[in-house]
Amino acid sequence: MRHYERYIRYRTFPTPWCPGCGDGVVLKSIAMAFSDLELDPNDIVVVAGIGCSGRMPTFFNTNTLHTTHGRALTFATGIKLARPDKMVVVISGDGDATAIGGNHLIHAARRNIGINLVLINNGVYGMTGGQVSPLTPQKFVTETTPYGNIEPKFDIANLLIASKASFVARETVNRPVQLKEVIKKSFQHRGFSVVEVISNCHINLGRRNRMKDPIAMTKWIEGRTVSKAQYEKMTEEERRHKYPTGILSEDTNRLEYSDLYYKHIVPAAQAAAEAAAKKQAERNNARKKEKS
Amino acid sequence: MGKRRKVLQGNIIVARAAIDAGCNFFAGYPITPSSEIAQYMSREMPKLGRDFIQMEDEIASLGACIGASLAGRKVMTATSGPGFSLMQEHLGMGVMAEIPLVIVNVMRGGPSTGLPTKPSQADVMQTRWGTHGDHPIIVLTPAFASELYSETVRAFNLSERFWNPVIVLYDEVMAKAHEDIEIPYKKDLYIYKEKIHKIKDLDIYDREIGENPHRVDFFKGYPIHIDGLEHDKHGWPTSEPKTVQKQQTLRMQKIYHYLDDIIQYKEYYMEDAEILLFAFGVSARAALPAVEMAREMGIRAGLFQPLTLWPFPKNALRQRFSRIKKVLTVELNMGQVRYEMERVAADDVEKRALLRANGIPFTPGEILEQIKEF
Amino acid sequence: MEKFEKELNQAARERREKRKPAPKQNDLTVVSVYCKGCGLCVDICPTGTLELEDNMVSKFGVSVNVVAPDYCIGCRMCERRCPDFAIFVNYEKPTRGQDNGKTS
Repeated sequence: MRHYERYIRYRTFPTPWCPGCGDGVVLKSIAMAFSDLELDPNDIVVVAGIGCSGRMPTFFNTNTLHTTHGRALTFATGIKLARPDKMVVVISGDGDATAIGGNHLIHAARRNIGINLVLINNGVYGMTGGQVSPLTPQKFVTETTPYGNIEPKFDIANLLIASKASFVARETVNRPVQLKEVIKKSFQHRGFSVVEVISNCHINLGRRNRMKDPIAMTKWIEGRTVSKAQYEKMTEEERRHKYPTGILSEDTNRLEYSDLYYKHIVPAAQAAAEAAAKKQAERNNARKKEKS
Repeated sequence: MGKRRKVLQGNIIVARAAIDAGCNFFAGYPITPSSEIAQYMSREMPKLGRDFIQMEDEIASLGACIGASLAGRKVMTATSGPGFSLMQEHLGMGVMAEIPLVIVNVMRGGPSTGLPTKPSQADVMQTRWGTHGDHPIIVLTPAFASELYSETVRAFNLSERFWNPVIVLYDEVMAKAHEDIEIPYKKDLYIYKEKIHKIKDLDIYDREIGENPHRVDFFKGYPIHIDGLEHDKHGWPTSEPKTVQKQQTLRMQKIYHYLDDIIQYKEYYMEDAEILLFAFGVSARAALPAVEMAREMGIRAGLFQPLTLWPFPKNALRQRFSRIKKVLTVELNMGQVRYEMERVAADDVEKRALLRANGIPFTPGEILEQIKEF
Repeated sequence: MEKFEKELNQAARERREKRKPAPKQNDLTVVSVYCKGCGLCVDICPTGTLELEDNMVSKFGVSVNVVAPDYCIGCRMCERRCPDFAIFVNYEKPTRGQDNGKTS
């Protein structure tokens, strides 16, 4: 048995995803990352929202939580604040992270709470049949944009860097080795870390946009992938449709939220309480002296 | 004044009761008239090394509370009408995944933004049916200052015992009024302590009718799966009809099997009453002097004050209605408990309701006029 | 078999023709009941060891088939790419780092 298989619940297999779906590759990469870091499954909790990516916790042999649409980060915040010593992994899709959950995404980044988010970006709402999402490229045809998508897509990495996220990275499902390495580095980061994974939904997005099979869609993603170094050398025009990959922003100096809470707030409060109690005791003594 | 006797604002009494009951996680969002609870918690929780966080909205507050409850904490959040409307989805998740949590809802004028600084009692039906789907819920309605304390402690006990969200429902007047109250000593408080820490296997929802789930919290060495989807006895998602119907029944019956333990009420002057007044919260505070004044005038009125509003005290009321044939429901809304009364009381009972929804609570005199006309 | 599956097999065959069998033997394990015949492993295998075939055991009627096991060089890209945990390289006798959690 492979070491990474101990993080998988085989009783729930086979997975419900379409053949060739990138979600399976992300599942395997995360399991391999857990295995490389030799983590205890009992110390990990995997939280997800709704969607194809939201089915992923069922397959992990750790503590798992399947929550409401878009709010996985809030549940994870509660868990992390209650048990700061445990590892909290959140898996999220397009809608969960950028549409209904957009608000929670920027607040989790701002707070720098120690959650490891894996954001699976496949450009569409897959599970509900293929509706447009905030990460769908322009001009694409989806179930709710039959005449082409007129809305530009988010650049999630820049959005998060502007929200002061302390670790932002991007990878694709075509490169499983690099994906595993980046996920491993994000798990080792103390603070809020995001890995955006460009994935393929050939059944619900590709099929309507001339990419019917998984290989065609992975080649299309490959055509848009560049490394961070190459991206920086490109002109504005060349940059327009490209996804730079790698670790895009890393700040190890920001303190994590629960560290700040337990090392600053709690001692300050306890010191204030002690000072107030001392003052009260002095006042009582003075009053006693007056009486006698 | 004695050592434990204090003058405290209603909101602070509830917050203090929560801390005494062992609440060690509070996530909230400020909203008039319940912000004082969040402010008090932000000062006191860090002193005890417990958690406080102000989240970005009410939906996130309840989400963080559920997450912390699954990680082993006793959680609470506090809100009012508009925030409570936002919390409905996660309230449903709390019922579906059978998670203990306490929500304080301080009613204000509604609907929508309504009257932020005036009371109402118009969330009665929403606390029962606000979230979608079939779900059981426990709602406690304190009226007097000592009940604000005792019902909050009871809310934590009930939520832990029955693995269900419990709502503490009162209104803006009681929240803001400063009253004197005697705080019980910790050793005199009953705190439920029978939460289990070990399970035999991972079939966490495998139980008989009337039993609770055999579940432990996260990180106890059991890789459990908690889901908002309908699930089978292992907790994994399913849509198989027999399993689904069984789980729905189990979730309802774990509450409805123990109505005697959950339903509590107080009665005043009811032994020989001819008119039954049904009032809760701030309306009960006005109804009690009204009943006393009516008695002085020779009218045989009595007050039935529910401490548990949902599940509705149907059996207790039906027992009284075998003898009493006149009921007056007093509530500060356009008529919500009134419909429950019409369902519960038989046709030979004359039912009347004193209703108002303009943000001004009833005075004992107004209630007395209604009693006299009855 | 659909058109793209036939194209995948053709591409794998062409890759094989350009190479010779591998010097060391590597064992390939396929769990047909999990395989959905997506073709990702066939596409990424650098030596054309794998092809798709019609197979009623798999949920979708198509699964991977190891047509040329002696061409496998043990790079394990198929194992890393497979979304369904359906293919493993040297499962019984893992080589360096495959089962002690240090590398993969």
